[in-house]
Parts: sequence; structure tokens; C-alpha cells
Amino acid sequence: MDWSAFSVSLRLAALTCLFLLPLGIWLGRLLATAQFRGKGLCEALIALPLVLPPTVLGFYLLQQFGRDAPLGGAWSALTGSGLNFTFSGILLASLIANLPFAIQPIQRAFEHVPANLREAAWCSGLSPWQTLWRIELPLVWPGILSAAALTFAHTLGEFGVILLVGGAIDGETRTLSIAIYDRVQAFDEQGAASMSALLLVISLATLGLVYGLAGKRRWARGQ
Amino acid sequence: MRALLLLCCWLLSAPVMAGAPIVAAASSLQFALEAAAAQFTQQTGHALRLNFGSSGNFRRQIAQGAPFELFLSADEGFVQALYDEGHVDNTGVMYARGRLAWVQPAGRYSLPDEQAPLAGVQEAIAALEEGQRLRIAIASPEHASYGMVAREVLQKAGLWESSEALRVQGENVSQAMQFALSGEARGGLVAYSLAVAPALVGRSEAVLIPEAWHTPLRQRMVLMPQAGEVAHEFYAWLQQTDAKEIFQTYGFSTD
Amino acid sequence: MDSLANVGGRVGSNLTVDVYQAGPIPLKASFSCAPGELLALVGPSGSGKTTLLRTIAGLYQPKQGRVSGGGKEWFLAKGGQHHSLPPQARQIGMVFQDYALFPHLTAQQNVQLAMGHLPRAQRPAQAAQWLVNVRLQGLEARYPSELSGGQRQRVALARALAREPQALLLDEPFSAVDQVTRRRLQRELALLRQHISIPIILVTHDLEEATALADQICVLHNGVSLQQGTPEALFRRPATPLVARLLDRHNVFTGKVVETATGRRLQWGEWLLEVGDALAKGRLGETLSWYLPPSDIVLHRRERPSHGERENPVAATVSEMVVLGSMTSIVLRVSHGDMLRFDIATHAAKRNQLALGASVYVSLLAEGIHLMPTQADAHAPHNKRTLL
Repeated sequence: MDWSAFSVSLRLAALTCLFLLPLGIWLGRLLATAQFRGKGLCEALIALPLVLPPTVLGFYLLQQFGRDAPLGGAWSALTGSGLNFTFSGILLASLIANLPFAIQPIQRAFEHVPANLREAAWCSGLSPWQTLWRIELPLVWPGILSAAALTFAHTLGEFGVILLVGGAIDGETRTLSIAIYDRVQAFDEQGAASMSALLLVISLATLGLVYGLAGKRRWARGQ
Repeated sequence: MRALLLLCCWLLSAPVMAGAPIVAAASSLQFALEAAAAQFTQQTGHALRLNFGSSGNFRRQIAQGAPFELFLSADEGFVQALYDEGHVDNTGVMYARGRLAWVQPAGRYSLPDEQAPLAGVQEAIAALEEGQRLRIAIASPEHASYGMVAREVLQKAGLWESSEALRVQGENVSQAMQFALSGEARGGLVAYSLAVAPALVGRSEAVLIPEAWHTPLRQRMVLMPQAGEVAHEFYAWLQQTDAKEIFQTYGFSTD
Repeated sequence: MDSLANVGGRVGSNLTVDVYQAGPIPLKASFSCAPGELLALVGPSGSGKTTLLRTIAGLYQPKQGRVSGGGKEWFLAKGGQHHSLPPQARQIGMVFQDYALFPHLTAQQNVQLAMGHLPRAQRPAQAAQWLVNVRLQGLEARYPSELSGGQRQRVALARALAREPQALLLDEPFSAVDQVTRRRLQRELALLRQHISIPIILVTHDLEEATALADQICVLHNGVSLQQGTPEALFRRPATPLVARLLDRHNVFTGKVVETATGRRLQWGEWLLEVGDALAKGRLGETLSWYLPPSDIVLHRRERPSHGERENPVAATVSEMVVLGSMTSIVLRVSHGDMLRFDIATHAAKRNQLALGASVYVSLLAEGIHLMPTQADAHAPHNKRTLL
């Protein structure tokens, strides 16, 4: 068992969720409630990582992350280290690759909140912030939870993009799924098997937790 | 609350192994270098992080700024290229010569004679005409050193075109080895060092390809400009007797 | 209903609305509602009723006009000025058409949420009291999905009132329940009204409901407010033939002002009708629309004449007779083709041996005849283009 890869994977997944969920709530709500020019394009861009082969995404990121590219250059000027082959780099790649998983479930959930509930809250004297906290978020909670679960589980399983920009560096960019690949390459089937089982259990537990929690809401029954 | 704080600390903590130098090594060294590094660590107390892959892939990653400290290539061309492009300060040293071998699953087919090590390829081509497709595995001839010499050998033997429909390519020589030992393959042209590794010795049979048949696999290693003390120490250690013995155990020539 | 004293415990202020915009939803409406008064906005669907209600609530901003309530200017857009209070600051109670209850909160929590103006400690007890007021005691802990349609409507009403609003806005509040429940809820609203002294605006397309509940009715068509008045005034004296039509009034005809030896008369086909003083204002030879409430059509009884028969006797034939329980709906055809409609008691129809094709006499009571300008429809456009 490669515990350092396990730790990298968990940190990557947790940080991806931590950064993406607030963004998902903001963007998901915006896309569900607002009408603006270029909305279709915006939604298409968010969905792109779903259909784009990870290698294509990885290739572009690799190019953009290089020190000669604007993004990589700016990053290295700012932090002193490059983006390619670093944990920051795979985190950024993971944030981009997980955009659809974090935003779409939340957007769908917001779309199911009737507009007049928001208006009823305003008419009841609730400020837009109070409306968000007390009315909208409790109603879209299952969407947020499933976004978190999908993002977490998908990050644990992400392979192509991370391999391309991360370079599988032990303790830094070698995630559990890459470590499994490496173990297979090294003819260490035992190691690959135990890590695969761990990944399977974690993914199943994450999803099980989500569906279990989502079914517990008494007020949503019989609707 | 305390648990949350701990979680945040862990999330923001520096990578666990930070500090231990990262060694990028050709896949053909998968077992040999693991053994060498283990002994080095035992003798010196310094940990190392090993990354295995195709030499061509590492050459690209180094050019893109990968934080390796030592690069063990499966041939010298990639090291030379890095030097020419200014990514390394010197052309390093040759640490071993690799051998290409015909490897096949143990006990399933007749092992070719040393005089005609490509008999397996020829058999597979003949079998194709009878409608039976037995695969021949090689490493990627695009960026893996063992893949390049495998192509060279097949081309010289006039078997390159006729074996086209049978060839499967591994991303690196380790993967090619996996393919060679899978049920679908007659065998493959891969690194001899993998075939003699204790982990695989019972599962495979191998016959060496004469070195004269291809460009020699002069395995060269080079220190990166950012290499630290430990990397320098390991670089020197790899050129000493203990390391040479390990390389020989795994089928490399070190003379 | 102790806590009802909270609502309108102070002397409330008028709610006045005067807004205009050419599009995208054409609006040209003005009306007002006094404290304790119930104003019904009626009109066909698409007449702008709900838009006006949302304008009052602050959920919609028209291009021009003003809305004031609670003694404050809620919205003003005139000349260069523009100011609009958000819904939160307007202090209105709104009951949405589908109630818009918060599904994740219990009945009591729904009501409690609208009590931001009260100290936190008072809210639970007060919310429970509101539920008692709308006769929902015992259901405090139910979620909306566990309540019937009528119960949900009551929670919505309690939530709207719990805010101690300066105006109560009801958007078709009875449309989503069955008829029995609707009757009961309407009765309860009528009872509740006695205790609250704030303006109440009711949007409805149900004329019967408006007549039964409202002190004032405002008739809307394509975003234009055509007429405001008491139900009685509106039904007897619609301002224009269009208003009459929107109020589902029949017996709208045209006639010509003529001079006879005995004074001015309204010529209607072969008949010369006596009309009250109103005719004096008409130009001679002018064509006017006129309307007669069905209650002012008096059927002559066969056996004995009654008083009033001297007024405008008209001969007609029965062209349609529909028995609707105790009442019978009669359509009479006069010689020039116009149809007179009215209802009489079914037993009276029997006694008079009314039958299809029978010849009868009716009197059209002069006091009831209401004259309207024929051209009046011009300012009440039938399509949006004329407004633009």
C-alpha cells in the first residue's frame, strides 16, 4: 500500500471540493436563475471536460503550465515554482477537470427551486443573503452533496490529466490511481489489488453516504 | 473544531516526502534500480523517490521543467539531446549496457534457439496466415529506447512489415513486458533485465538478442542542475562495485 | 383573534398605484385602496393583474409611475427621479397563487420566518397564535407536503399576516382548491377582514368571488385599468361597452338620440325608449351604447298588469329558455334582432306559461337604462399596438 499516494489523493480530492463547491454554488445559481448573453457558451465550456479526452485537456494544461506560457510564467513569478509536475499544478488541473461535476448538479438543483419561493422569502422580509442561507441552500442541499461526492470520487479516479501534468512524482503528484498503474507496471499485482480495493471502498462509501443522506428528508417525501 | 483544524493543517501541509530526491529511471531499470536504491538507503540512510517510465517521456518532462535530480536513461541519445538543449550541464556517465531479449510466457511455446532468437516472431507471422493471431509485444518505438532497438532488430530481419498486424506497443518497456506475458501474445522483444527479475523469473522464458543486431543500448545517467547532495552521492554510488553487481544480477553489462 | 390587533392596530394608510409603460408588458393603470378596504383586480388572463400585484410588492418595476403605501413612497419613476424600495422594505404580506410555502420548513417555521421584525424569543409563540387564528392548531409541525390545499392556503395567509403588513396582496388565492374549500376559505377571509384595517388587494378572474368579497373592483384589460368602483356601481353603470363585456354583462345595445313631441327618446329598432335625465346630455342624432341590468327588465304577467308596465313596453318572442334549478334564464328576441337576457324564478316562468316562440311583453325600466359613449372603446385598446 502506497500511503503517500493515498495521502496525495485525499488531499487533492478534499482541496478540489473545498475550492470548487463555493464556485459551484455561485455559478450554479447564476446559471439557473439569470439570463445573459453567452450563457450557452458558458455552460458548454463548463461541460467540456465531460466529453474532452483527459489527454487533450492534459495536453493543453501542460502547455499552459510551462514556464514560457503566460499562465505558468505568471504562476512561477508569483510563487517561485512552476505548475507542471507540482501539487499546485495537479490541483489546478483537477479544478478544471471537475468543473462539470461540481457545477452541474448544483445548477440542476437550483433550477428546481421555484422562482416564487425566492420572491416569497423577500416578501417575508428576508434579505437576499438570508434567502440563500435559509431557503435556497437547504433546498439545493442534495445537489451540493452530490456535487461534492462526484467531485471527490472523480478526483480520486482522475488519471490521464494528472499523469500528463503531474509526472507521477512520489509524495507530490503520484495519486492513488497513478500508483495503481505504476504497481501494475512493476508487476506488483498485490499492491495494485489492495489499492484498487481501497479506492473502490472509498468511492462506494462516498456515494452511499450521499444517497443515504438525500433520502432522509421527511419534507421531501410524497412529492 | 480541533479535528477541523487538524484537517486544514494536513490539507496545507508540505508533501510527505519532500526533500528526498526524485530519480527518473527508464522502465528497464524497474527491478534493478529498486534493489540498488534499497541498498543505497540501507547503507547511507538517505531516502530516494523513484519514478519509472519511458526514457523519451522523461526527456520531454525534464525539458518542461520536471523536478528530477537524477535521470537514468535507457540510452545515451536522450541525455545527449538534453545536453545539446542546455537542460543539463554535462553528458553524464554510462552506468550499464542493456540487452534486448525475446521474452515469452513460461512453458507455453517452444523457446527459440539462441542462434535464431526471432523464430517466435516468424512462427507468429506464419500462424497469422492460418488465421491465428498471436501478438508480438514491443515498447513504443517513438519514445522508449527498447522500443527503438526492437524496431531496428525487426527491420534488419525483414520482419517489420510482416509483423505489423501482430504488434502491440507498450507505453514503456514494463508495459510491453506485461503484454508479452499476457495470454494473447506469442511473446515480445523487451528488456532482458525485466525477464531475469526475481518477480518474473518463474513466469517468463527469455533468449537474448545478439548485441550486434542493433545500436548498443548504452544506458547513460546524468545529474540535473538542481541535484542536491543525496543525488550526487547516489550518482557516485551507482558507479561503484555494489551497484555494478546489482546491475549484472539483472542482466546488464557493466564493462 | 387577539393578535390580529397587530395588523392595522395603527391606522393604516391608503395604497395607491399609478403606473405606465409601453412595453414589454403594456401597463396603464391607476387605482387606490383604503385601509380596511378590499379591492379586487379583475380581468381576463393576460390583463396585467398579477404584474400589477408584483409591482406593488416590489417584485416588478414598471418604467414610469408611483406606488405608495404604508404612508411611504414605495416606488417612484417620473421624469429624472427613480427610486424603488426592495420587497423586504415595503412591508407587504403576499399570498401567492400556489402559496409558495417553503417545503423544508414546518407550518410554524414558515410563519415564523416572516417575523423578522419581532424579538427572536417572541416568534414561536406568536407564530403558533397565527396558526390558531387561521384555525390550524395542532398542525404546527406539519410540512407543507403533509397539508391539504386549503390548509396550505391558510398557512400562506398566516405567513403573510405575520409580517404585520401595511398591505395584504392576494394572488388568486382560491384558485388551487376545490369548490367546497373555496367557499369556506372565502367566508373565512370575509370574517378575517373585519379585524384588519390595511388595504387588501385581491387578484381574481372570478367575478362572483370579486362581487362577494370586494368593496371595490378595478377592471383591467391589456394592462389598462378601465374602471374602479363598487361592485354595485360597476354592474349597473359600466363605463364602456368593453367594461360591460369584461364584467360578463349582456343587454348592451346601441340606440339613437331623437326628439319627439313628448321629449327626447332613445330610438332602438322600432321602439322609442324613455330614459332618465341622462339623455338630455346627448347630441341629437348621436348613436349611443346603452346597457340595461337584467333586474330592470320586467316581464308583463298574463292575467294582471303590474305597475311599471307603462314604462317602455316592448314586444318580443322567447328564443331561448334554460332552466337552471330555481332560476330560469330567458333570452327574448325583439323585432329588429337584438336579444334581451334576464333570469326569472322558474315558478314564475311556469305561471306565465313561457315557452319557446311565445310572444311576450316586457318593460325596460327607464331608471335602469345606462348610456355609454359608443366610441369609448377607442381608449381601451384591444391589441397592444394601439397602446404603443
